Amino acid sequence: MKKSLMLIIMLILVATTVLAGCSSNNASNNNTAANTPKEEPAKEEPAKVEEPVKVEPFTVSLRHIQIGDAQKFRKAILDDVVKNTEAEIPGLKFELDGVEDQVNRFTKLPAEMAAANPPKIFDLFGGAGDAFKYAKAGRLLDLTPIIQELGMDGKFLNLGQFTLDGKVYGLPIGGSTEGFFYNQEMFTKLGINAPTSFEELEAAAETLKKNNITPIAMGSKGAWVPNMLMNTLVGRYAGPDVVNGFATGTAKWSSPEVVAAFAKYEEWEKNGYFTKGELGLEYGDMLNQLLTGKAGMMFDGSWRSSVFKDVEQAKDLTGKVGYFSMPAVPDGKGDQTYVNGNYGNGYGFSADLSENELTAVKAFIKNLYSDEMQLRGLLEDGVLPSMKLSDDALAKVEDPIVKVVMDIMKNSGGAFSHFDSTIQSDVYKVTEEQIQLLIAGRISAQEAGDALQKVQAAANAK
Amino acid sequence: MLTTIKKVLPHFILFIYVGIILIPFVFIIFSSLKESNIEIAESPFGFPVDFVYENYVETWVKAKINVYFFNSLYLSFSSAVVGVILAAATAFALTRMRFAVASKWIYQFVLIGMLIPGNVLFIAQYLLVNKLGILNTHWSLFLPYTAGALPISVLLIAAFMKAIPGELEEAAIVDGLSSVGLFSKIILPITMPALVTVFIINFLGVWNEYLLANFFISKDALRTLPTGMVGFRDAFQTNYALICAGIIYSVVPVFILYTFLQDKIIDGITAGGVKG
Amino acid sequence: MKSTLRNPTVYMMFILPTIMLYTLFFIYPMMSSVYYGFTDWNGLDNTNFVGFDNFVKAFSDANFINSIKNNIYFILFSVFIQVPLIIFFAILIGGVKRFQGVYKTTVFMPSLISTSIIGILWGFIYEPEVGLLNNFLSLFGIERIYWLADPKWALLAVLITNAWQWMGFFIILILAAILAIPKEINEAAEIDGTNGIQQAVHITIPLIKPIISVVIMLSIAGAMKVIDIVLVMTKGGPIGSTEVMASYMVSKAIRYSEYGYGTSLSIIIFAFALVLTAIYQLVFVRNQERIEY
Repeated sequence: MKKSLMLIIMLILVATTVLAGCSSNNASNNNTAANTPKEEPAKEEPAKVEEPVKVEPFTVSLRHIQIGDAQKFRKAILDDVVKNTEAEIPGLKFELDGVEDQVNRFTKLPAEMAAANPPKIFDLFGGAGDAFKYAKAGRLLDLTPIIQELGMDGKFLNLGQFTLDGKVYGLPIGGSTEGFFYNQEMFTKLGINAPTSFEELEAAAETLKKNNITPIAMGSKGAWVPNMLMNTLVGRYAGPDVVNGFATGTAKWSSPEVVAAFAKYEEWEKNGYFTKGELGLEYGDMLNQLLTGKAGMMFDGSWRSSVFKDVEQAKDLTGKVGYFSMPAVPDGKGDQTYVNGNYGNGYGFSADLSENELTAVKAFIKNLYSDEMQLRGLLEDGVLPSMKLSDDALAKVEDPIVKVVMDIMKNSGGAFSHFDSTIQSDVYKVTEEQIQLLIAGRISAQEAGDALQKVQAAANAK
Repeated sequence: MLTTIKKVLPHFILFIYVGIILIPFVFIIFSSLKESNIEIAESPFGFPVDFVYENYVETWVKAKINVYFFNSLYLSFSSAVVGVILAAATAFALTRMRFAVASKWIYQFVLIGMLIPGNVLFIAQYLLVNKLGILNTHWSLFLPYTAGALPISVLLIAAFMKAIPGELEEAAIVDGLSSVGLFSKIILPITMPALVTVFIINFLGVWNEYLLANFFISKDALRTLPTGMVGFRDAFQTNYALICAGIIYSVVPVFILYTFLQDKIIDGITAGGVKG
Repeated sequence: MKSTLRNPTVYMMFILPTIMLYTLFFIYPMMSSVYYGFTDWNGLDNTNFVGFDNFVKAFSDANFINSIKNNIYFILFSVFIQVPLIIFFAILIGGVKRFQGVYKTTVFMPSLISTSIIGILWGFIYEPEVGLLNNFLSLFGIERIYWLADPKWALLAVLITNAWQWMGFFIILILAAILAIPKEINEAAEIDGTNGIQQAVHITIPLIKPIISVVIMLSIAGAMKVIDIVLVMTKGGPIGSTEVMASYMVSKAIRYSEYGYGTSLSIIIFAFALVLTAIYQLVFVRNQERIEY
């Protein structure tokens, strides 16, 4: 109490000196810019005497990650939802804040969560490192009653990455799987068929390399990018169950089958299958390499597919990019048709909402998670739906890549998650360190496995 | 012969240095007018084939540079002005007023701040501005920026003020000036060169600041140039021409400002040095 | 007469605003950092007091030790490469008559641009395939270098960019001092027949020693707190080769939600800075005072 009182007194004193000391123009500028939005409505209200319906304007902050050209379809859908919701709720104005995905996920949102001051609506990832952590700390709105109220119970395909102790804390906007995108024109010219087996995949890589083309585009500055491929290799070599087994102690990073996956990655690295200088390249650069014909393949999420039907972005390569999932590996454990499947990215909501804001949030959920928007996401943006859609609706898909992706999903034995949502965040962080060390050639596959197992054991013991 | 070399050699060396400074800008100007990454890749030094001015239009629309630029400009200006005034007053009290013991302690106390690497405080500052309820307003940047500039401002201005001969103020006091009058009428004008320098340092400090601006501001309309530009790069990192046009937009106005102010800075410092 | 300068009200009026602002946004955060530094606060849950655990952990944390090493590189590079170059260029510019204005204007230009924009700009220069630097080096048959992707080169690349940004600023500071040297001193030296180098070493440098010491101190302080350029260019990578103490602290605290540990790192950084000041005060300030009086 005493402390905060002192703080306030100090601030007032400081503020007065600032205002007095500063030439009036700057100080008042600063002052108005900071306070106007809050003060204005309050001042105006008494003036408007006795209006029949008292509409109180309010704003709701909304953090999204749909920035840049590659995300423009997603942004358009969000914009429409925002528009519809604003039209529905009198006085509501959304304040959109677009931030790059990694910046939001790893810097802004954690800082805001620590200060207990997140935006009211925000892009959120599921799993142990994100949604569960914030839910446990009481920062996330429990959506279970809202889902009931809106009659959306059972509509979602998979809420696992957002469900903690039976309560839902976030809603995935779509689903995704990861696999290889490839330049069909280039493959035809070089006489390569879309690989159906692991041998063919490696042979294709060799052919590309001989023709001075980078086999697999890669941007490893953010370690999550190579981790996508590593994740799938681990699922192939050690089996789909392993991904969940690390945290429960049934699987070990240092076991021969997991190390086999690291060893394959290391081998490809040494063979020069990935972009040179990948550790300095961003996620976006990787797409650029495929689009400019510098690389023949790219391992990425199915969410990327919309780029390849957009002439503005894909240019000459429009409609000439194919997709296949990671083929079965020799001596791989478990079902080799499993794919990496995630319903891990969506929206979360602040636990700290006023009544107005709660109304807005409900309307936002209703409008965003609708059959219409899910279908638009699928058709316009190539994002797999996170909610159950009718077969008729699904049959409308014409985009070849999306069709292939959906077929692969349908024919798969099941799906395993990203390990970023299954293992503890301390361990995930070490996977990021280890994969980059492996890429730089500083450690061997076995060393990576051993280092990870050590941290995993420590984390499991907690 | 020897004297010619003696005369030309410094220019030769300096031309290389100036070249190293300017070439990146030339590259950026050229690239901003090129059609595509491919044209940039094929001849990075080459003159643009067609001048694609649309890049500038597109950047202006997409990057909202005008908003970021204005925010940075008025935050930098107001924070620098307030910082200079506060620091000058403090430096005057510390160096010219007769409270030797107190001044010595206060001076050391403020000096410590210069060695607290400002950035290490940002977590605690984040919690503080949140507690004060000013997070996501420009106050959350203005106050820490101004406070952060104080130690070095006090140090530099105090160093200048120390060098002012005592006879000057004695004469002024004999003439009946109060200490406030002495400060504003005698000391401030003499110290003006130092004040300008400190103003520029503070201005640039705020102008450059990225870390706090990145964390304390979440509204696009309040973002400053450094964070706005990084956001723009993150969004369009594969379109080099657009980013280069963005760089031009953000750099040119500062250069104009600088050409306007630079004589003041340098002449000021020089004149002050001679007088002091 | 002296009473005018002994007015405590005026004294307080002049000092208090600064002290309050400084205390609120500097000392108070520092104190609260000290508190959090001894806890295991993760930014969300309850905090536990853990004593000196975080500090013990810091000095066995190979990544932190590595970041200290990189800060030392920053300091060494600033003091032993940048500062001599700064003095050299300042003396050169001070010595010429033609184009002096042009030089003054241009050298200062990089310091005007925000660090984040410089990071983006130099990203193009270091771009391995189309970037300026590799293009230039290939003229001499030097093979493509992956400046920001290769752990061997990345730190040097960041150091060069940092130098490019700040050298001009310091050159202007020193130049001002050089130009302030009374002409008679130099003229006298010329009559005595000293050459340019002798003049620089024996006359100019001793006269500008105070400002050189300020420049060194500013360089060290800058190298201690460097972070923006690292965040914008490399985010500390590849594999930690450009990680500095401040960027590691931010990444620990924010990216990995180890606020307790992160703040304890900030205390360590502060302690280092304090030791450096002490050394600076002992070595430089005494010298300077002897010259002044």
